[in-house]
Parts: sequence; structure tokens; C-alpha cells
Amino acid sequence: MMKTIPLQDPPESFPKDYPEAILNAKDIWHSYDGRSYVLRGITMELREGFFTMVLGRSASGKTTLVKVLANILKPVRGKVHLLTRQKASPRPIAYIPQNLGLVRNLTAWDNVMIGALGYTTTLKSLVPRFDRKLSAKAQEILMALGVADKADQKIWHLSGGERQRVAIARALMQNPQIILADEFVSQLDPVTSMEILNIMKKLTQSGIAFLITTHDVALVKKYANRVIIMKNGEIHSEHTSMDFSLEDLMDEIR
Amino acid sequence: MMVVLMVGALSLLSMFRLGLFDPSRLFLASKNIMQFFAEIFPPQLDLLPTLSRAIGETIQMSFTGTALGFLMSLPLAFWGARNLFGRLVGAVVRLVVSGIRTIPSILFGVIFVIAFGLGPTAGTLGVAFYTVGYLAKLYYEAFEAVDPEVIEAVKTTGCNRLQLFRFVILPETANTIISQLLFMFEYNIRASTIMGFVGAGGIGYYMVGYVQMLQYQHLLTALLLTFLVVMMIDYFSFQIRSVVHHHSLSR
Repeated sequence: MMKTIPLQDPPESFPKDYPEAILNAKDIWHSYDGRSYVLRGITMELREGFFTMVLGRSASGKTTLVKVLANILKPVRGKVHLLTRQKASPRPIAYIPQNLGLVRNLTAWDNVMIGALGYTTTLKSLVPRFDRKLSAKAQEILMALGVADKADQKIWHLSGGERQRVAIARALMQNPQIILADEFVSQLDPVTSMEILNIMKKLTQSGIAFLITTHDVALVKKYANRVIIMKNGEIHSEHTSMDFSLEDLMDEIR
Repeated sequence: MMVVLMVGALSLLSMFRLGLFDPSRLFLASKNIMQFFAEIFPPQLDLLPTLSRAIGETIQMSFTGTALGFLMSLPLAFWGARNLFGRLVGAVVRLVVSGIRTIPSILFGVIFVIAFGLGPTAGTLGVAFYTVGYLAKLYYEAFEAVDPEVIEAVKTTGCNRLQLFRFVILPETANTIISQLLFMFEYNIRASTIMGFVGAGGIGYYMVGYVQMLQYQHLLTALLLTFLVVMMIDYFSFQIRSVVHHHSLSR
């Protein structure tokens, strides 16, 4: 049974003064080969301060959905509208792919500064000579994420959890309003992923909309305040209250 | 089985037609070779100062030519990488680069001798263009092999292509760039020797002269010197490349 939630009609569980939508996807269809559809009419929105988890089995279309939302893939049909204020953030969407997309031959610091490229002139970035303000911000973010002491290390020297933090730091340098992360923390041990997710939860409280895809049902229940369940390229159901059991959720994914 | 038999028969036939089964010619040939080897010894050591200067010129031609070719191949490879500039620009660059590669190095030598006259200037430019044909191809292929996921992620920061090149493509392919460059220099020592055959400078110029004047002992001296230098450069280049390679394995 399809149970999508239309924009105009928020469910009971949304708070009365629920925040504005900052991204709006309408009737998204996508196909890689022109024959079979990976996404089949996805309609959804992202709201400030929401921690959204997209749950689904392998090949349910999660990765494709994230890429379409991040404007990396152009959908065959349908449109993604950004409703963010351009002035507040010229680069409103940050994207963290499954394997993090870090440049392995560069230091953690350089990888973080890549997030600032959109705010730097070409000439300055090639030297590279970033504005002091940006460097100070990078330092601040690395401190907050607890990897400031790793700044000079090349990526391949870092542990999985440290890499994940560097990827988050790069995303934050973009000054984003939305962070999209594919298979976030999937490759980390439970303790480290809880640490990382706690950081992300704090960030959403500052207003960032955070969407991750995962297949880890237990994590969903602990951190998300919104769950979207995908099946065969469609949104099967959506929850904004977490008053269901793990078993219910697992049954729904099946 | 049939195929093997047919290939065998065909190769026997062509060997026959090429005169490899003619006993009188084979006898004459072996006699000539023996005489050649009798005349070739001993090497003339008093030529060493002149030939050393000449092989120094060959090394210079190779070094400068490789460096020039490298500088020209980087922008070409940048434009040629289809993950940066798309299929159309990529196709144009591929056309240009494979066009350059079609022309043998010695023909480049001839062209630049016509333009600049005899001497190492022509040889250097010949080596440079020859280098472009190979390095540009090797480099755009390396650029295209960079993990698309990294490129996609970095693109969402709003960077332009030059920034993408500086922060993703170059660091990810640095090892390939350096080791191919060293290999090219090593290879170009030989290519520069050949350049001398058409008067484009270096030790090859002397070699071809000795052959024409039938001064085989002088030729042997030049060959031995070249052999020594090639061996030395191969050795050092191998040492540097194994350091680079080791570095890349430590990821």
C-alpha cells in the first residue's frame, strides 16, 4: 500500500509550527538504461532541522534518489526545486557519497578546504591561498569534530571514523543547508557510528536538513525524526513519529 | 590444428621467398658478418672526448625534449579527459594526439631539420613532439580513471574544472604522472640517438657518419658508449620509479 504524505497536508506528528520545506522533489522518475525505472514517481520534501533516514533494501533506488536530489543525476522525468535562500548559502547542498569521495593523496586539511572552493577565486585556490576567515572556519570545524590533530595527515593514514569526520568537515565548509549522505556510517563499528550520528544530530538542531540512506534499522529508530521507506523505486511509507517497534520497521522493509 | 599447419606453411613459404633458404647467400652472409666482426675491434678509445661531448648533447636533447613535451602534454590531457570536458572536446584532442603519434620520431627530426637546420635544436623539438603523442594519451587515460565518486562529491562544492584538476585529478594521478615521465625520459635517450641519423644532433650523427665511412671501430666505440649511458640512466630511472611506486603502494 502506498502511503506518501502530500506537502499541503502535513501529518499529525509534524509539530504545529513545522519548518518550511527547503527542497521539493516532484514526481521523480529515473532510468539508467531507458527501459527499467530505478525511481518511479518519487515525491518528497526536505525540511530545516529534520534528520531523515531513507531505509530500503539493496537496489531499492536509495543511491539514485540521493544523486538526483544532489543534482548529480538529471531525472528522466520530474523536477527538484531548491527553496533555500540563495544569499544564506550559495552552495546549499553538500553530498557525501558511499565511499566518502575524499582525495586520498591529499591531507585531511586540504580535503576540508575543498569544501571552500566554491567561495574562493580560481587563482587563490590554485596557489593555494585561502582567505584567513575560511582557514579559521576549517580549524574550528576540525576542532569541533575532534580531528584537528589529524589535519596534516594524508587520508589513507586515517581510520574509518576519522575519514567520516573529515567528509563531514568538508561538507560543513560549504555552509550547506542540506547534507545528503549515501550509506552513511555503514562501514563503521557501532560505537563510532553512534558518535558520528550524535554529531549529525547536533548539526540538525542548528537547522541543517540531513538525509542519509541506510539499511541499519536499529540506528534509524535511535536517531532519525523522520523515516522514508523505499521499495522498488517508490516511497512505500513515511513516518515522522518513532512510536513503532523495530520489528514493525523490518516487516515494512521486507 | 589446420590453422597451425597453414600458418607454418605460410611462414616457410615467405622465408623461402625472402631468401633465407638460399645456401650460397647464407654462406656469403655469414662470411660478411665474420669479416664485420673482425674489423669492428678494437674500439678506438682516443675518440672518447669527442663522443662524450656528442652523447652529452644526446642526453640534453632527451631531457629538454621530454620536459617540453611534458609541458605540452599536460594541457592536452586536461582537455582530452572526457570526465572533465565531455566527449566532443575529448574527441578533438584524441584526433590531434593520435595524429602526432602516427608520425615517427625520425620524421619529426627531418621536419625540424628543414625548419631549423642541422643540429640539436631540431632534435630536441622532434623528441618533444614525439613525447606529446605518448604522454598526452597516457595522461588523459589516467585522468579518466580517477574515481568518479570523488569527482561527483567535489563538484557539489561548486568548484570549476581547473580547481577540480588541481585538487582531485592531479593528486590522484601524481604517481602515474611521475613514473610515466621518467619512463619517457629513459626511452627518449634512444629516440634522441636516432635523431642524429637525420642530422638532428647528438651521437647518432656520428654513428651514421661512421657507417657511411666504413669506420666500424669508431662505430663500436660510439655504440659501447651509448650502451653504457643507457644502462646508467635506466638504472637511476628504475631506482626513482620504484621509490614512487613504493610510495603509491603504502596507501
